[in-house]
Amino acid sequence: MNKTKDRAWFAVFTVPLLFIFTTVVIIPFIIGIFYSFVTWDGIPANPKVFVGVDNYIQIFKDQRFMASAWHTVKFTVLALLSVNVLGLVFSLLVTSKLRVSNAARTMFFMPNLIGGLILGYIWQFLFTDAMEFVGDKTGLHHVFFNWLLNPQFALYAMVIVFTWQMAGYTMIIYIAGIQGIPDEMIEAAKVDGANLWQRITRIIFPLLMPAFTICLFMTLSGAFKIYDVNLSLTKGGPNNATEMFAMNIFNEIFGYGRYGLGQAKAIVFFLVVAILTLTQVAITKKREVQM
Amino acid sequence: MKKASRALFEVLLVVLALAFLSPIYIMVVNSFKNRAELYESALALPHSISFQYYAQAMAKMDFFTAFLNSLTITVTSVAIVVVLASMTAWMLARTEHKLSKFIFMVFVATMLIPFQTIMMPLMQVMDWIRTHLHIPMLNTRGGLIYMNIGFHASMAVFLYHGFVKSIPVALEEAATLDGCSKFGLFWKIVFPMLTTITVTIAILDVMAMWNDYLLPSLVLSDKSLRTIPLSTFYFFGEFTIVWNLAMAGLTLTIIPVVVFYVFAQKYIIKGIAAGAVK
Amino acid sequence: MKQVKKAFGLLTAAALVAALAGCGSSNSGNSNTAAGSEPASGSAAPAKEKLQKISIFQSKVEISDALEALTKKYTEETGNEVEVWGAAGDDYMTQLQAKLTANQGPSIFSIGTGAPADKLKSYFYDLSNEPYVKDIAPNMALKEDGKVVGVPYGVEGFGLVYNKDLVDPKNVTELASFTKTMEELKAKGINPLSLSQEAFFLIGHILNTPFALQPDPQAFIEKLNKGEVKMADTKEFQEFGKFMDVIKADSKNPLEVKYDTQMGDFATGKTAMVHQGNWSYTMLKDFGNMDDKLGMMPFPLEGNNKIAVGVASNWVINGKASPDEIKAAEAFLNWLFTSDTGKKAIVDDFKFIPAMTNIPADNLDPLSKVVYDAAKSGQTIPWATNYYPPNIVVNDLTPVAQAYFLDKNMTGQQLLEKLDAAWAKAAK
Repeated sequence: MNKTKDRAWFAVFTVPLLFIFTTVVIIPFIIGIFYSFVTWDGIPANPKVFVGVDNYIQIFKDQRFMASAWHTVKFTVLALLSVNVLGLVFSLLVTSKLRVSNAARTMFFMPNLIGGLILGYIWQFLFTDAMEFVGDKTGLHHVFFNWLLNPQFALYAMVIVFTWQMAGYTMIIYIAGIQGIPDEMIEAAKVDGANLWQRITRIIFPLLMPAFTICLFMTLSGAFKIYDVNLSLTKGGPNNATEMFAMNIFNEIFGYGRYGLGQAKAIVFFLVVAILTLTQVAITKKREVQM
Repeated sequence: MKKASRALFEVLLVVLALAFLSPIYIMVVNSFKNRAELYESALALPHSISFQYYAQAMAKMDFFTAFLNSLTITVTSVAIVVVLASMTAWMLARTEHKLSKFIFMVFVATMLIPFQTIMMPLMQVMDWIRTHLHIPMLNTRGGLIYMNIGFHASMAVFLYHGFVKSIPVALEEAATLDGCSKFGLFWKIVFPMLTTITVTIAILDVMAMWNDYLLPSLVLSDKSLRTIPLSTFYFFGEFTIVWNLAMAGLTLTIIPVVVFYVFAQKYIIKGIAAGAVK
Repeated sequence: MKQVKKAFGLLTAAALVAALAGCGSSNSGNSNTAAGSEPASGSAAPAKEKLQKISIFQSKVEISDALEALTKKYTEETGNEVEVWGAAGDDYMTQLQAKLTANQGPSIFSIGTGAPADKLKSYFYDLSNEPYVKDIAPNMALKEDGKVVGVPYGVEGFGLVYNKDLVDPKNVTELASFTKTMEELKAKGINPLSLSQEAFFLIGHILNTPFALQPDPQAFIEKLNKGEVKMADTKEFQEFGKFMDVIKADSKNPLEVKYDTQMGDFATGKTAMVHQGNWSYTMLKDFGNMDDKLGMMPFPLEGNNKIAVGVASNWVINGKASPDEIKAAEAFLNWLFTSDTGKKAIVDDFKFIPAMTNIPADNLDPLSKVVYDAAKSGQTIPWATNYYPPNIVVNDLTPVAQAYFLDKNMTGQQLLEKLDAAWAKAAK
């Protein structure tokens, strides 16, 4: 009796969203999986030829794809660190009851308001014009030069822009986490003589575990999927040194018109990333403390 | 001594924040320059401040129509996402069986799918719905709202799921004993306790939807339906960008969200204060 | 209904039909009877049924305003409605593909000549019988399988755009004089020739010349696709490599130059020559008037003395649209290329160099004038770029060119070898 009632409630609460989600994300994704087994140029009127796992075999011969996957991994690791360290520092700073906290909180979040493509164009000005300007003024030309022309530094440039955009994003999630920690707990620790460092590492961090889980995952998925910034900042250059995974797929599908191969790439990458991130979520979830 | 270090801290914070805003400086100063002046220097302050480019950008973008479209679409989508995702996430978090775990994992996993790889099949599905079920999914605000909900469901469920855990289960059990229905329990007890994360999700989703270009560009064609990002297409050629109008258009685009953010942020703080009383 | 109509005077009839058009489709004989009672005046609105509303989707953002204004005039003159959709330049093909996939395709859209057109050819409506097709300049119509399917936007041309105060084209006629001029300019502290970082401005256009100088460029490209020839072994390309070496040695690294700065430097006399097309005039004029100093000359590879002229974009009708929609689309294109308003807009508002023989081209800007004259006299080389494998310039050739300009030790010959390798991969 009770069980059927529970089931009914379960359905009432979850089905509406699941229905929408299925039609918008799941079904198209499944259709996409089907396309990974055909050769097709993506034009509905043109023929689709079933080729089995051919596309998947081709992927592993595609050095440029492998290179782009490697860039993505490097980028993601760097971005993961910088975004979360900065986001956490910001959140600690702006919740520490300074007079300027509120203003700073808004300022740190502002980059997130500039969406999509134009962001990269604005940063181009900074990496070309501003860098050269500072280089000329200080004479430190080996640090302040046009980063976008150097394969190594162009990748760092992407990390900087991504961090600039995402740090505020993770900041507000960390803030939500920090503010969920009861003040009394921290006050009590203060009374017990815990210093700032101890308060942060012993009380705040453990209680922030859910926020960590979320932020790490958000950065991870965001970094893996990065496209807009890639396109508008470096277009994958110089010499493909910053071509990330999403751009490689996009080029395969819409550039070369090899729809099936592009879909196959997407699925392989999806599987790899899904395994990685789900492991990450599982690990950090275990460290969460239930209240 | 302590006061001095605190002041130092504050100065440091301000400097950091200002450095963080330098790209926005570039955006604003260049919305006042013509191409020749921008060429001289992208960093310098403009020779003169005149809002002519803003006026031009607004006229070309048909700003007010676009603004209303963006507003309707964003507000409706976010409201529905918040309602449905919070319900779903709470149910998933509080139900201990395999199905709920599986559903949650599916939500999480799909966040990793690059949008570009499902956009074509998505168009096919929407076309199928249109031709077979006669529901106009394409080229309508409703269709875009529907798709927005689908695409932002995962993240919202994920965030809510994480934060539901921090609500003591005991409280809900007490309410159940009081004879509250699940519906009442959720809306009277649980949802108010999720205010902080609700506002956070609302902020993140508002930003994402307000700025989204790709999905609306695929779904909406009619000029009268254009959202703000779509209306800025005039300023982006294949090789050239009309910088002043693009920057002015962008500044106009983000002002409403800045206002919203400042407002919403106060709510977070209030929500916290309210939570602390309990 | 027809009888009633005939009883009214011509103008009232026109107005009435326009108003009643919403009542559903009348048979096609309708317009004939109406036309019968019509005087031979071209200016009065023809008394036709109102056609279905159509949509236009096109890639050239620069003309969107003018196109919208023109469609308003079209509605005023004919009563038919046209809606213009917009896309930002980069995304056009993706969005077009998505809209076609969703069966929400536009009635009329634009498509690039060559690979993009081949890809979408199953969508094109056969325009062979349209009245204006005979007016398309020779060899300029977009054809698929022998049928005319697209009408060119206009012709465009590129070569070396130069500042007459700084360069005399007599001194830039082949490699030796080119090199000498470059070195002299450099010695004077002027950047002699500027390319810029955008894919087509970096390598796409300039690489066209050695292709275009082949006896049969299209056949050469096919052989290249099959791996039967190599750029590195072909004379024109080897010479091209030497030109590139001179450009790299004597001028500013193009990867540090954006299209904006390229034009700015040129307009302010810091750069003497740019490899650009007539389209760059719209950008140049933002920096002030330099009309009397402005010239365009051929890229003098192997003594080449012709400018590259071709068609970048074409209007096509979506053949998968409903018959009514196609009919309305035909009417609009017909109006665009035959009415005075339409023809005038193409030249004066879109600023295109017409590819139609029935459209006079007066008031062209100095660069377009050069291109127009070349096109008229036939002193042109083709745009071989149109026949490259799809997107090869952006996807494959540009990275190689970037490597070339970043690596001081890489020679023009090595550039060719790398381009060959990139080409082989892309053509697979």
